[in-house]
Amino acid sequence: MSETTVEGFGEFVETQVLDAWKGPKKVPHEEFFTSGHRTCQGCESAQLMKLMAKAAGPRTIILGATGCMYVANTTYYSTPWAVPWMHTQLGSAGSAATGTAAGLKALMRKGKMKDEPINVISFCGDGGGADMGLSAISAALQHTEYNHLILMYDNESYANTDIQVSGSSPYGAHTTFSAPGKVQRIMNRRWKKNTAAMLAAGHPDCKYVATVCTSNPVDAMNHVRKALSIGGPTFIHSLDPCPKGWDYDPRYSHELGELAIETGIWPLYEVVEGELKMHGKSRRILRGQLKRKPVEEYLMRQGRFAHFVQEDIDYFQGKIDQMWEEWLIPGVIPFSAGEES
Amino acid sequence: MSTGSVEVIYRGIYQKTLAKNICRGVVFAARKEGKIGIAFGRYSDSPERNGIPAKQFAVVADEQEELEEYLSRYEPDNNDVTIACDDTLCKGVESWAWYGLQPINKLLGENGTLLVTSTQSPNKLINFIHRKASPYDLALVRSEASFSGLWVYKDDHTDVRLLGALAKVAPHMFSIDSMLAAIKEQFKDDLKVTSAKKSYDDTEAQPVSTEQGNEEVPYSFELPGWKEMEEGIVIRGMDMSKGGTGKDGSYVPVRNEVFKKFSTRTMRPVINFETCTKCTLCWLNCPDTCFDVTADGLYDANMEACCGCGVCEAVCPVKECVTMVNEEAFDDNDSQWAMWTKDKDGYGKWLAEKIANQPARSHGFHHIGQYEEDIANDSA
Repeated sequence: MSETTVEGFGEFVETQVLDAWKGPKKVPHEEFFTSGHRTCQGCESAQLMKLMAKAAGPRTIILGATGCMYVANTTYYSTPWAVPWMHTQLGSAGSAATGTAAGLKALMRKGKMKDEPINVISFCGDGGGADMGLSAISAALQHTEYNHLILMYDNESYANTDIQVSGSSPYGAHTTFSAPGKVQRIMNRRWKKNTAAMLAAGHPDCKYVATVCTSNPVDAMNHVRKALSIGGPTFIHSLDPCPKGWDYDPRYSHELGELAIETGIWPLYEVVEGELKMHGKSRRILRGQLKRKPVEEYLMRQGRFAHFVQEDIDYFQGKIDQMWEEWLIPGVIPFSAGEES
Repeated sequence: MSTGSVEVIYRGIYQKTLAKNICRGVVFAARKEGKIGIAFGRYSDSPERNGIPAKQFAVVADEQEELEEYLSRYEPDNNDVTIACDDTLCKGVESWAWYGLQPINKLLGENGTLLVTSTQSPNKLINFIHRKASPYDLALVRSEASFSGLWVYKDDHTDVRLLGALAKVAPHMFSIDSMLAAIKEQFKDDLKVTSAKKSYDDTEAQPVSTEQGNEEVPYSFELPGWKEMEEGIVIRGMDMSKGGTGKDGSYVPVRNEVFKKFSTRTMRPVINFETCTKCTLCWLNCPDTCFDVTADGLYDANMEACCGCGVCEAVCPVKECVTMVNEEAFDDNDSQWAMWTKDKDGYGKWLAEKIANQPARSHGFHHIGQYEEDIANDSA
């Protein structure tokens, strides 16, 4: 059990100690998010919910902001959750996490419930996290006396309401708000928001920020376990391929996640108490041990990029090259040191 | 009376544009005859999810009042025609929790027509379709199910072929001439008009009696009313004691009892337990938690929970272990592992037959440009 004190804030409530699982065969059978959710075939966000609940174990409270993982998982008076779950409003994943952790702490202090470490996880989609709920998450990451994990499942659009563009949608993607037309082919000209790095850089007291992808389930679960063990508010950003909005055959859910990593579009890293570490294939890319695949392989597998011409693919590739070759910290911090500095 | 309604049952997202085109076609054809019409989706299907059965309706009427009478109903019943855009829907549809398994012909009126796109024989489909208390007609449009994505519509003329067939089986709603004129105006494509006319000429309906069809009574649930719901609309979580680890080391997770999801499936995984290396990847990567862990450490896909996404086949590292097979090949949801443990040789034969002898099936596009490649390969 880890226990830390910060001057002026009193003691942290202990966290559960959740060790990393070494390989898929060491993963226990117990499921806390099971069958019977009304998600799409091949939904990687549902897969993430399953992994997250499995990684956290039975003594866990889960909160969910509005989005696919709220609507599809509590379909008309039924649920696939086996651990306590509560809905919270679209922009309030951060507030719900702080409030619940604070509530538990107060109840335990007053002796109204048994004193034990209980995991608090609050999830939100990219709409709820990277757009609407960003300020609440920022506030939650500053309240360092509460232990919780905010997990953002990023399917790169408002997928629940049938695919509207979000701050996390990639350049040029076809959404209902950015349909390519005859005059303008590229309607979403914004580059994807760099949410995890922004939160890590902006909240130096937050002990843990990581990016994961469900294409490596054991790795994703171990990051959840690490985030819950380390104490204080933590944040994980997961890229979840979405067969509906990205428009591909659901059987390729796993493969597209891998391709996002292998092309360098989705860098995997964690920031642990101020120290940045790349992991998985991203680390090998950074070290030059693995050559990045062309982004075309990833883009052309998806209907949302069906309107791309070579010029668009080249632009996308150029931006990814820049991210690995010119950024101050490749894949993470998107600026270089100016000449004067 | 020339009023009528058409129910279009389709696979969510994959056939959303197809269903929309059909319903629009109905309304525009009716308008050509001076009638009024309206097309609408069923609110509770929204947001649509890939594969989950969804419905749109098109209503045609002489008078505004008649139209409104239909609109006041949540799901218009007594439909003149029910269109199933995919023949695997004939096994029944479960669109959301508490809905139960609804027979494909449930909302079809007496002597109405069930119109299905299929390459199967009518008798094979009748064996899947639940029995109905009143007789109806079955008509087929000979075609594989047309699936495409949200953004890339596969324009293989299935929409106009169904509209042409519709004019044949429901001539009281609109004539084929009105339908062809509407198609011409909507799509501005003579080839589509030709496809619709050919489909009109080819379509034959056959009667289905009350004695024919699947005898099984589909499962249904009693939806709790608001008085039975708890304060704050608390939903009780899954009762973990209903699942879990058995004495033999097997593990069966507790599952949502009121939403099974298998009616979403158009392909199912069949597993060769002989080649399985117990690597865990199918079980670990299944978004629907459908794999039961057996006492001997194998993974048995539960066919009531599996929605047929195909991720297990994609992640399986063994060449011939998990194979996705057209759902039409199966009559039940029985455990494959139980079948295998009982009779290994028999299971091997069953497996080989299922894998070898089925029309190919896909969820739509595998990559951009594939449809064009398919057409080029077909004509080569």
